[in-house]
Amino acid sequence: MILTDVLGSRVYGPDATYLGRVADARFVLDQPPPGQLLAGARLQGLIVSPHSAGSFMGYERNNVNRPWPWAQLLKWWHRGSFLVLWADIKVMGPETVTLREGFSAHDPGLEGAGTA
Amino acid sequence: MNRPQHTPARLEPAPPTSGRVLDAQLHLLDRQVIDVDGLPVTTVDDLELEGVEADIPIAAGAAAPVISALLSGPVLGTRIFGGRPPSSRLIRLTWKDVSAVDVTIRLGVRSESLAESWVERWIRDKIITRIPGGKHDPH
Repeated sequence: MILTDVLGSRVYGPDATYLGRVADARFVLDQPPPGQLLAGARLQGLIVSPHSAGSFMGYERNNVNRPWPWAQLLKWWHRGSFLVLWADIKVMGPETVTLREGFSAHDPGLEGAGTA
Repeated sequence: MNRPQHTPARLEPAPPTSGRVLDAQLHLLDRQVIDVDGLPVTTVDDLELEGVEADIPIAAGAAAPVISALLSGPVLGTRIFGGRPPSSRLIRLTWKDVSAVDVTIRLGVRSESLAESWVERWIRDKIITRIPGGKHDPH
């Protein structure tokens, strides 16, 4: 599957409630297997934004606040963004992503989520 | 774009991870790829995921997909007008060759061995070498 097919897809809850669009995909580097230079990048989940189909520079996911007006504008634009984990995704496609019953919305912040 | 009908009122903290976290748009896409000798190879236009198929229901407890390759190709037109090039037009750079992800993405192999640099090799072998003095470094 090609990642950019999923970016921008509409995200629906289990009851067909529209939640937003896929703004990004989050990966975690696990331990590298023998003979490989870098760990495999495992999909942890998708960042869902209720107000935009993408994300610009990730201001809503980190503590960067300079230049202040720009940071405030972008944080407001991406307000309400959340992370849904892979375990909560039922179907992933170029048009829609459907979540499982009882899915959890997680804080999308990168601070404390690992070094990046 | 439709307005969302429901926004989760409460966000749970992100689950702790033992490894480094990378967001595709922020840390991978559009990054320059550098080979083991420090030579630029390409930029990352897309990522290929292994372990998931589009629009096929995912079994509960299924293993998470992983990045199998970095993709590059002729994406300028599709970025302006929408869509993406056919999968067959994209050149794959396997994730196994990636040695580090930083401001740039570094490889552990030489660009000579990669399909990405075929244009550069072709120009060198077919055009530059036919120019007088083109077969050796400048004195």
